[in-house]
Amino acid sequence: MRRGKVKDALWLSTALNETDVISGGEVKLEEAIREVDRRYRPSSIIVAAGCVPGIIGDDIDGVAARLQPQVSAKILPVHCEGFKTKIWATAYDAVYHAIGRNLLDEPREYDQILQDEFEELKEKHILSRTVNLMNVSSMGRVDELELSRLLRSLGLEVNIFPVFAHPEEMYKVTRAAVSISTCPTHDDYFLKHLEEKYGIPYIIRHMPIGIDNTSLWIRDVAAFFGLEEQAEKLISEEVRELHTALAEFKPLFKGKKVFVSAGEIRALANGQLLRELGFEVAGIRSFHHDEYAEVDYEKLAAGNRDFVFNIANAQPFEEVNMLKRTKPDLFLGHWCGNATASKLGIATHVIYNTGLSYIGYQGVYELARRLYRQLKNPLFNKRLSRYVPLPYTDQWYDADPFKYIKIMGGEGVE
Amino acid sequence: MSKFIEKPRYLCALGGAMAAVTALPGTVPVLHAASGCAGNITWAQNGGSGLQVGGYCGGLSVPSSNVQEREVVFGGSERLREQIRNTLEVIAGELYFVLTGCVTEVIGDDVRAVVSEFQDEGIDIIFAETGGFNGNSYHGYDLVLQSLFRNYVRRGVEKIKGRVNLWGIAPFMDVFWRGNLAGLRLLLGKLGLEVNTFFTAGDTLEGIKQAAGAELNIIVSDVYGLEAAKVCEEVHGIPYVVVPPPIGPAATDDFLRRVGAALSLDILLVEDLIEQENKLYYHYLETLIDCYNDLDLQRYAVVVGDANYTVSVAKFLSDDLGWLPELVVCTDQLGEEQKPQLSHRLSSLKSGLQPELVFETDTSEILGHFNRYWPRNRSQKYYNAFSPAFVVGSSLDRELAQSLGAAHLSVSFPVANRAVLDRGYTGYSGGLHLIEDLFSAIVAGR
Repeated sequence: MRRGKVKDALWLSTALNETDVISGGEVKLEEAIREVDRRYRPSSIIVAAGCVPGIIGDDIDGVAARLQPQVSAKILPVHCEGFKTKIWATAYDAVYHAIGRNLLDEPREYDQILQDEFEELKEKHILSRTVNLMNVSSMGRVDELELSRLLRSLGLEVNIFPVFAHPEEMYKVTRAAVSISTCPTHDDYFLKHLEEKYGIPYIIRHMPIGIDNTSLWIRDVAAFFGLEEQAEKLISEEVRELHTALAEFKPLFKGKKVFVSAGEIRALANGQLLRELGFEVAGIRSFHHDEYAEVDYEKLAAGNRDFVFNIANAQPFEEVNMLKRTKPDLFLGHWCGNATASKLGIATHVIYNTGLSYIGYQGVYELARRLYRQLKNPLFNKRLSRYVPLPYTDQWYDADPFKYIKIMGGEGVE
Repeated sequence: MSKFIEKPRYLCALGGAMAAVTALPGTVPVLHAASGCAGNITWAQNGGSGLQVGGYCGGLSVPSSNVQEREVVFGGSERLREQIRNTLEVIAGELYFVLTGCVTEVIGDDVRAVVSEFQDEGIDIIFAETGGFNGNSYHGYDLVLQSLFRNYVRRGVEKIKGRVNLWGIAPFMDVFWRGNLAGLRLLLGKLGLEVNTFFTAGDTLEGIKQAAGAELNIIVSDVYGLEAAKVCEEVHGIPYVVVPPPIGPAATDDFLRRVGAALSLDILLVEDLIEQENKLYYHYLETLIDCYNDLDLQRYAVVVGDANYTVSVAKFLSDDLGWLPELVVCTDQLGEEQKPQLSHRLSSLKSGLQPELVFETDTSEILGHFNRYWPRNRSQKYYNAFSPAFVVGSSLDRELAQSLGAAHLSVSFPVANRAVLDRGYTGYSGGLHLIEDLFSAIVAGR
C-alpha cells in the first residue's frame, strides 16, 4: 500500500518437510532460486534462513555462490535463524550485511563521447549536498515525506535508503555527502560500513520523534553542511506553528499517565514526545538495550518524575503486573502488543503502523490528534474490560513483576 | 522432494496447532519452540484471519520456552520444565497444551517425559508434536485433535444416543470458523442432536472430555481432521462420516440426509427439517428476485482456495445460485491420494456443470491456468467472453480478479480485507450470508 495502490509482496517458502530435514534442503533451495529467477525475473533474491537450515547445516552462502553465475538476479543470503538471538534488532544487521556485500557496486560507466563539463559540475554539486536518509521498515511513506520535506527546506537532496530503494539504484548510497540515521538501533552496523569502505561520514544520534528530538536531528544535519543559521530559522518557524496547532489537544492530555512499550529507541523517543504533549510518563518498556540509547535515557531522566523502566521482549505477563501497579490512562504498544492493556480498560494506541504519521513535526501533530481521539472516547476498551478476562492468576498480580528475570554469568535471561 | 510454495496460504503445523489450542475453551498453549515462532504466527494471523488474533491466552501472550543456541546444543528439556512450572504460577488455565516447534523436534527433546512429570502431579497437561516441517497449519490442527483423543478424552465412556462430535473446520485458518461451526451445531440441534464442536463458545472442556460418548463423528472436510477421525475410531470406537462443509440448501439437504442415515434417524424428521429450512431460505430469497434479474446478477466464476472452500463454494454457486463456476483452483499442498475425492465432488454437481479443477500452490500461476482454459479473444467481432465474472478466493486473489475484470470476495485464508467475527457460511442461513457478501461486492459502487 505504499503508493496508493495495493500490491502483494512476492515471497516464497521452500516448505521444508521431514525428508528435507534428514537429507538437507540445499537442492530444494537451488531449484527454488533457479525457478524464481526464470519465473519472476527479479533484480535480487533474498534467501532468509530459518531455524531448521541453521541446525541441519544447510550452507546457504555456498548455494548462493554456486548459483550466482547461473542466474541474473543478485542472490543475497541472510542469516536470521530464530534461536540465534532473542533480540530481533539483530536481523537489521543481517539484512544490511547482505546488502553491503552484494548490492552496492556501481554500475559500469561507459566513456562519454561528448563531455559536458557543466553537467558534471552540476552532478558533483548535487552529490555534495545529498543526504542518505536511512529509513526503517516501521516507518511509512508519510514519515519519509515529512523528513524529506525538512531536509529539502535546508536545500539538501535526499536519497532514501534502504527500505523500498530499488536494488539497482542502491549503489547511490555510496555517493552521498553524509548519512543520517532515523533509528540508531537500526543503522549502526551499516553506517560504519559506509564510512569505512566509501568514506561517507554519518550522524547517528536522535530519532526524529517528538519536537525536541526532531529539532536536534535537524541541527545535526545542518551543522554538517554549515547551515546552522538556516536550520534555526526553520526550527523556530516549524515549532511555533506546531505549538499553536497542538493547543486544542493539550488540556485533555494534561497530567494523564502514559505507559509506552516498543523497540528501545522508539519507546524512549515516544516517551519524550508524550511528555512534550503534557502527559506524565508512568512507565517505559524497551525490547532490548544497546549503547546508542544512553543519550535518550539521559533526556528522559532530565524530567523530574520517577517512572518504571523495564527491558524485555513484549512479555505481556510482566506488563500486566506493571500496568496494574502504575494504572496509566493511556498505553502505547507494538503491533499485537495492545491487547493486554485493552483488556484492562486502558485507552490504547499502536506505537507504529507504517501507514500512519509518527515522525517529524507532522508526526507530533498527527499522533496528538489520534491520541485525542482515543481519549475522547475510550469506551471500546472500557467495555471490554468488564467482560473479557485476562489469563493471569490472582497471585501473579501480587508478585514481583521481574521475578522471572535471571542473571546468568552476566547474560540476562528472561 | 516437494517443491517450494509461492505466497503460502497457510502457516506451519505449529501455527495451525497454536491457533487451534488458543480456540479451545479455557486452554493455555505452551510452546516449546525457538524465539520468534509465537510472534510470527500471531502476526500472520493479524494479516490473514479476518482481523481475528489472540483469544483468552493467545497472540503475544502465549508462553514459550524460547529456546536459544544453548538449548540447541545441550537440549531443551530443562528449559521446558522451568517454562511449564512458571506458566502454572502465572497463567490460569483448565488445560495446558504443550506444542513443539521445529527446533525442539530436531534436537530430540523428550517432551513426553517432561509433560508426564506434571501429569503425575495431577495437572491437566497434554502435548502434541507440531514441528513446522511436519506439515502445514491444517495438519497442525489435525495433530491437536489427535492428541485430545489420545490423551484427554476419557476412555470407556458409554455411548449416548443422539450425541455427535463435529470437526473439519480449523480455527483461524478457516476465517469463518466460529460462525461455520456454530451454524452446523445449531442446525443439528434441530434434529435433536447434542453436538460437541470443540472450539465454539458453546463448547466446554467437560464436554470435550466426554466426547467418547458420541455415537458418530461428522468430519465436514475431505481433508482436514481425517487422521484425527481415524485415531478417534481406533481409540474410542466411534465411526465417522466425511462430508464437505455444506453451504446453502442443496449441500445442506444432502448433509442432513447423510447424517440422518448414518445415525438411523427417522426419515420424516429429517425431511421435515429440510422442508422447513428451505421454506425459510426461499422466504428471504424471494425479495431478491427482481434485482437478481434487473441487475443481471448471474456470474461466471473462478473459485480459488483451500480444499474445504473450493468444493463447497463451487457447489453452492452451481447448485443454488445458478452461477457458472468454470475454473476451481485448490491451493493446498495435497498428496496424490487426496485429489480424486475433491474431483469426484465437483463431477457430480446438480447443474451438470463440470468445472475444471486445478491443484496449484503458486498464486501467480493461476492466471496461466485460466488462460489455458478459457479461449482468448483473437480479435473476433463476436467473442464469448468470460464476463460478467467473479473471483471467490482469498485476499491474494484480488490481482487475478483485476486482470479478469471480475468482482472479488475473500472467503479462504488469508482474508486480510474483511472483518469477521461470528459470520458463517454453513447451512441454510450461511448460504444467505454468502449471497449477501457476493452481491454486496457487485453493487458496492452503486
